[in-house]
Amino acid sequence: MALNPPLDRALDVEVPRTRLGVREAVREFCVRRPLGAVGAAIIVLMLAVALLAPLIARYDPVVNDFAAMLAAPSGAHWLGTDAFGRDVLSRLIYGSRTALLVGFGSSVLGATLGAVLGVASAYFGGRVDLYLQRVMDVFLSFPLIILALALVAILGNSIPNLIMAIMIPMIPRSALVIRSSALAIREMPYVDAARAAGFNHRRIILRHMLPNVMAPYLIMLTAFLGQAILLESSLSFLGLGVQEPIPAWGLMLRGAAVEFAEAAPWMAIFPGLAISLSVFAFNLFGDSLRDALDPRLKTQ
Amino acid sequence: MHRYLIKRFLLMLPTLFGVALVTFLLIRVIPGDVVELRYSGDRGSVSQDIIDRERARIGLDRPIWQQFMTWMLGIVRFDFGTSMWTGAPILEEIKLRFVLSLQLAIMATIVAVLLAIPLGVLSALKQDTWIDYAVRLFSIAGLAMPSFWLGIVLILLMLVVFKWLPPMVYTPFWTNPVQNLAQLIWPALAVGYRYSAVATRMTRSAMLEVLREDYIRTARAKGLMQKLILARHALKNAMLPVLTVVALEFAFLIGGLVVTEQVFNLNGIGLLFVQAVAHRDYTLLQALVMLVAGSFIVVNFLMDVAYAWLDPRIRYR
Amino acid sequence: MRRSVPVSIALILALLLVGAAPAPAQDKPRSGGELVFVVPSEPPSYDAHQEETFGVIHPMAPHYSTLLRVDPTDKTGTKPVGDIAESWTVSKDQLTYTFKIRKGVKFHDGSELTSRDVKASYEKILHPPAGVKSLRKEAYGSVASVDAPDPGTFVLKLKYPEASILLNLASPWNWIYKADILAKDPHWYEKNVMGTGPFKFVEHVRGSHWVGKKNPDYWDKGKPYLDGYRAIFISNSAAQVAAVRGERAMIQFRSFSPPERDSLVQALGAKVAVQESPWDCANLVAMHHDKKPFDDKRVRRALTLALDRYEGSKALSRITLVKDVAGIQVPGTPYATPPAELDKLAGYGHDIAKSRAEAKRLLKEAGVPDGFAFTFKNRGIPHPYEHLGIWLIDQWRQIGLNVKMEMIEASAYHPMLKRGDFDVAMDFQCGFIVEPDLDLPRFLSHSDANYGKHKDTVIDDLYSRQGRATDLEERKKILRQLEKRLLDEEVHVFYTLQWHRIIPHLAKVKGWTITPSHYLNNQLDTVWLSE
Repeated sequence: MALNPPLDRALDVEVPRTRLGVREAVREFCVRRPLGAVGAAIIVLMLAVALLAPLIARYDPVVNDFAAMLAAPSGAHWLGTDAFGRDVLSRLIYGSRTALLVGFGSSVLGATLGAVLGVASAYFGGRVDLYLQRVMDVFLSFPLIILALALVAILGNSIPNLIMAIMIPMIPRSALVIRSSALAIREMPYVDAARAAGFNHRRIILRHMLPNVMAPYLIMLTAFLGQAILLESSLSFLGLGVQEPIPAWGLMLRGAAVEFAEAAPWMAIFPGLAISLSVFAFNLFGDSLRDALDPRLKTQ
Repeated sequence: MHRYLIKRFLLMLPTLFGVALVTFLLIRVIPGDVVELRYSGDRGSVSQDIIDRERARIGLDRPIWQQFMTWMLGIVRFDFGTSMWTGAPILEEIKLRFVLSLQLAIMATIVAVLLAIPLGVLSALKQDTWIDYAVRLFSIAGLAMPSFWLGIVLILLMLVVFKWLPPMVYTPFWTNPVQNLAQLIWPALAVGYRYSAVATRMTRSAMLEVLREDYIRTARAKGLMQKLILARHALKNAMLPVLTVVALEFAFLIGGLVVTEQVFNLNGIGLLFVQAVAHRDYTLLQALVMLVAGSFIVVNFLMDVAYAWLDPRIRYR
Repeated sequence: MRRSVPVSIALILALLLVGAAPAPAQDKPRSGGELVFVVPSEPPSYDAHQEETFGVIHPMAPHYSTLLRVDPTDKTGTKPVGDIAESWTVSKDQLTYTFKIRKGVKFHDGSELTSRDVKASYEKILHPPAGVKSLRKEAYGSVASVDAPDPGTFVLKLKYPEASILLNLASPWNWIYKADILAKDPHWYEKNVMGTGPFKFVEHVRGSHWVGKKNPDYWDKGKPYLDGYRAIFISNSAAQVAAVRGERAMIQFRSFSPPERDSLVQALGAKVAVQESPWDCANLVAMHHDKKPFDDKRVRRALTLALDRYEGSKALSRITLVKDVAGIQVPGTPYATPPAELDKLAGYGHDIAKSRAEAKRLLKEAGVPDGFAFTFKNRGIPHPYEHLGIWLIDQWRQIGLNVKMEMIEASAYHPMLKRGDFDVAMDFQCGFIVEPDLDLPRFLSHSDANYGKHKDTVIDDLYSRQGRATDLEERKKILRQLEKRLLDEEVHVFYTLQWHRIIPHLAKVKGWTITPSHYLNNQLDTVWLSE
């Protein structure tokens, strides 16, 4: 809406679109932000493993082989076997599918829905803010475990339900943090000026507020990705998540892995490492991505 | 300022009511029944007659709205009812465990803040140097490890390497501070380290944003000392989102440390929660949720007060 | 079955053994010390007549006596001996049991126990007053009346002869309460403790611990040996193991898993002693007889034929609480299945290839296609339910069945079974004393615990006949017939593996003998510490 072209252009403080090609952008990212590059590489590796699971796993992850139970890592089983003789490496490989599915599904949905609510709440203020805040507060007040347990108990143990159970507690958290950032932006002079100039809500939100909450949004998202994977493993550890004999990293850390922690440590070490590594990677990458994208933080 | 605070105080009430309602309904939707559970045990079967009479005695056969009203009226009179599983008064069940969980939450938050703020500021000031990388790796590592994994590894380490085990039974702080701390310091460290990660990164990112603000650049140009700038302007404004995160997490530490409490064998609220859910002990569960929700809402309110103090712009909306 | 060994050889062997072995210095019980043990769950209320959980027995049984109890030195847990009953006589028609009550048994408040208290306690169990539950009422259906003709005599009259009545009376739940207290308030015992047992109540801190101290006026002079005991409530099993390993606790009376035992043995060496026994608990597979295709006994037979129980026993006994391959009674007890008979039952053969081929053939004959899918519902408890579930699914996979497991949370599980909301589900049979009359009623056509809803009058008839058989061999014969009909001819249900109880404890704990039930032998009067 070109009410006042010069003012319009002056108020366009959006993120400058980089003119670099994709390849150059990636190279620049790897050079300037090595930590993030490492994180990204691990993530790509994880995705590849998850996609190619049937091709790269040597054994069927659910078949019992009692002759080989509790075997230490060897040529036949690179990471050893578990209490039922199942190959740990194969279970890790297939487990990445569950982790990524649940992780991505719940965190992307949770962070995004939360961000939309947070920005709307901050922008519109007044009654809208009040009511949204109260509803968010109500859901935020529930400890994760009870909400997750209730949802799992009502909906059942399948993977889509698990995604929902993990996503729902994330929405109000994301909303709250995004709202606090958006609040600060809302007070900025250029937003007031834009309102005075008569720009409609959608434009202001999309072009002025959203890009400026990108930073906390991305941090939230990558934190959530990691948290979702951790939550899934905690739920499985408590017996509320994915069910045997489906391979999932959290499930592998349950029961037998703890009891055999001294006698057969490979059962607990590798799934724990897998979880830690993936959460680590997501956070590293997210951190660096945020640094790279935020124009005001470009180091001179 | 007073009007603002009163307004925020009054807003707590509908939230509390909302929580009460949602909790009440939500737990009754979950399949399973406390009476069935109590009298089926390992052997499996008890006559239906006994089950029906027990249900009537506890009050489970009355219509839902009546149960809700009874509960609400009870709260107003500070009578929180009795546990459906043990028959003991709820206050008694919760008292000891709440003190432990509260102490653990406070200790863990102190650990987290002591780690997060200096590390976050340091990391922001020395952005993209190896100090920055080291701090980020350290804090992310804490975030990445599953809490139960960390706990199990810690306990194994203590047993195998140090041949020492923390005290098994809880002693309150004023009875025997040494034993009390000897038991709680380990979970506080484990939990604090994990929670410091988010706070560190928030501090770092908030500091980075603020350091680039115009008024900071102006102050620098005017020649004010670095330290003064930091203390006066940067930190104060960076604290807003950091405070949000710390306050949120603190309120959750009270009921949310289920796995940690299991691993370190702490008789706290988290464990009570899991037991109450497993037993479908509605009255206890309702009281626990209200307790945790109440803590969260009070903390939220205190946060609002702090917000208003730190950022005058918000006060006058 | 008695083998005759010439007495002289036995004497010589005995002398050799005694001479060869070093005289153990700790043979004579030593007085003193506090026994510290861990209990995985806490008592909801204090009245054993109204509770079912070992969480009541472990910390509280030392406060009470029962009329009869199971001999604490007998490993099979099947011998009734007198607790406050000094002796008893049985009438010729086996309908009247007369018990002589010991003199000088005192409640912890100093008052003397008489048969009046025994009568009041049993009245509470048999005919509970309004508002009070009695969970064991049904078990005493054969009792006509109880009487206390004089303070030293207690008389029990039956409606019909019952072989198991004495064991029934030895139930660890039948605590003797004070008649005066019961008359004033039948609910008093739900929140208070007043018994005649070897230990007095000191304190109970919810979520934390339970403490008892020696009763100096205990009727069995010289006992208890311990000064007191402390039960610590720890629900997390890794924490329990750590407690024993750190020598903060000495024993846990339920069971540890095989890897936990191994880690304790490895860490503590000679400081730890391990006692093991078959457990009076088994997991069975229930198949709903009203749901296709499980209404066809060929399909049910195929499911049991698919299981390689012997390989399963070897492997699973390393990782979870199962071991023996058994039938309807715990191995080692009087009515257990002799191996020769066991082999003949479906699924208990030693040629698994042959069994599985037969299973596949039966499935085909019954019209079940290869790759047929169904859901197996299991109780959400790790040991040994989850392990057995994983094993079962893999075994059934090998006869071409595609089974999905659904773990249902423990509190919702029993209602699901009762509703009949399953095709195939994990069932469990647990008892506190090994006795067919206590273990088998669930297989009757009208039983509430008959979740598969099978109706078999032959079994009903065999059950009542064995209950009234007073000759040991006759009873065994009938039981074998019942077993064959249940597990082989009709395959109404089938057993997976028998649970196995493993109690590793600090070696200084002496005088405690393991039995197949974790509800027995918890009065702690025979326990002493060697250091």
